[in-house]
Amino acid sequence: MDDRLRETLSAMMDDEADELSVRRLLSHDRQDELRAQWQRWQDVRDLLHDGHSPAHGMDVSVAVREELDGRDSAALGATLAGRDSKARGWHWPAAAMVAMALLVGFGAGAGWDSSGTGPAQPLAAAAPEAPAPAPDQPVREVALQGLDEEQWEYMSRYLLEHAQHNSVGAGRGAVGYARLVSANGPGY
Amino acid sequence: MYQALIAVFRCRVLSVLMCLVLALAGSVPVLADDEASAWLKRLGPALNMTSYRGVFVYARGERVHSMQIAHRYIDGAVEERLVLQDGGTGEIVRKGMNVVCVLPETGRVQLNQVIPSGPFAEAFTSQLVPVNRWYQAEMKGEDRVAGYDVVSVALSAKDPYRYSHQLWLEKSTGLLVKSHVRNSEGDVLEQFQYTSLYIGEEIPDSEFEIRTQGREISRTLDETASTESVVQRMNGWQLGWRPEGFVPAAAPRSGKGQAVAFSDGLAAFSVFVEPAGPVTMPTGASLIGATTVYMRQVKEGENVFLVTVVGELPPQTARQVAESVRIEDSLALGAGGS
Repeated sequence: MDDRLRETLSAMMDDEADELSVRRLLSHDRQDELRAQWQRWQDVRDLLHDGHSPAHGMDVSVAVREELDGRDSAALGATLAGRDSKARGWHWPAAAMVAMALLVGFGAGAGWDSSGTGPAQPLAAAAPEAPAPAPDQPVREVALQGLDEEQWEYMSRYLLEHAQHNSVGAGRGAVGYARLVSANGPGY
Repeated sequence: MYQALIAVFRCRVLSVLMCLVLALAGSVPVLADDEASAWLKRLGPALNMTSYRGVFVYARGERVHSMQIAHRYIDGAVEERLVLQDGGTGEIVRKGMNVVCVLPETGRVQLNQVIPSGPFAEAFTSQLVPVNRWYQAEMKGEDRVAGYDVVSVALSAKDPYRYSHQLWLEKSTGLLVKSHVRNSEGDVLEQFQYTSLYIGEEIPDSEFEIRTQGREISRTLDETASTESVVQRMNGWQLGWRPEGFVPAAAPRSGKGQAVAFSDGLAAFSVFVEPAGPVTMPTGASLIGATTVYMRQVKEGENVFLVTVVGELPPQTARQVAESVRIEDSLALGAGGS
């Protein structure tokens, strides 16, 4: 179990974990290890609070997963829909196609799964104590999965334009290209 | 509670590390800094003017792509061919100012200004010099990447507004062969690395031919596009704040967008201000590897504008930049029109 997962677990204990982190936690393949850690911390907490441990031996992951899925089944639907967008893009008129081809090429972002946003996860936990340059409140995170297809295309356009600025501005051709292509990649 | 404990622990570790770093920094001779600067100065020119071919991988988050590249500098112009190695088929071929692109599922499409052209990139590389003001440059020793001896330069952000970078440069040419982008916690958000590489002049013409069949659309890049002033592109809005060191960057103009790009020599971000379209975007930051997209809607009188900041920036910085945008002239931004 890495530090990030441990941090998420810890955040969950404090009821401060964000949804993506929890999802990652639930999809971790060493569930037994996680459960053991969770259990230990619950036990410690209960000891500190001089109470018993009602959570002992309970597996809450299924319920949590259901809760998450129930709450944003629409978002998941959008992700699935996004996967078809590449094919659908071809029904557009030819004139619009040239202008929009790159967006379609982006696959409406369908390729990005939650893991793609992984490195940002510590944000929620780290923001409050970070030497925040300005407003102290953590930055609201917009999960990529939560965007519908139209929103995806909209955002993709900006990503694409930035990729072009970046490869020019930073003077590092190949990396700029790679960003573009990485964003372009379908969700295989 | 536990989180707080961890946070306290992390702060301790961090402060101990900081002390160590400060102690070390005091004792490191100024020469090391100069050496790092000298390497950085070679970075830009080397990317364009070296001839090489190879395969590199590019990863952000848990997604990895590999691409084959051939690049040469001939008669003062860059020729380059990139071929996707996984997923769909696709390639990008550039000869001087002509770019042709074949991307998966899109057929053969001209990328127009998407692909950088040599002159812009070269003009910009002079800006790599003051990088030392915003990043602590440090030589990290020698290593070997894709069979070549390399030196490694760490560029640690001096403030919380930007990410830290580590670059690996081939020793004889200064070619960038590997790079990492890290956040303040030290997580690698994005990495780029050659897995096989050949550096040398003898790269045959055949390496630069388009091999994918299809309709060819080609166009010459417009050199004058970059000369349009930033002031013009910022018509109707102002940026109230940006992290120190980020200066307007040469950028090809794009569509109707009121877009301006800024770079501190290593990282870049773009700011877009447009009348809000039919699509409602949520306010907040989305993260793809080291790239943050921060969007917010601004209401100015009757009109609603969408402010988007995209860049290799921490989400907090992107938000600050986005929140500092002030709309001054709705009409100039095309509100109510077209």
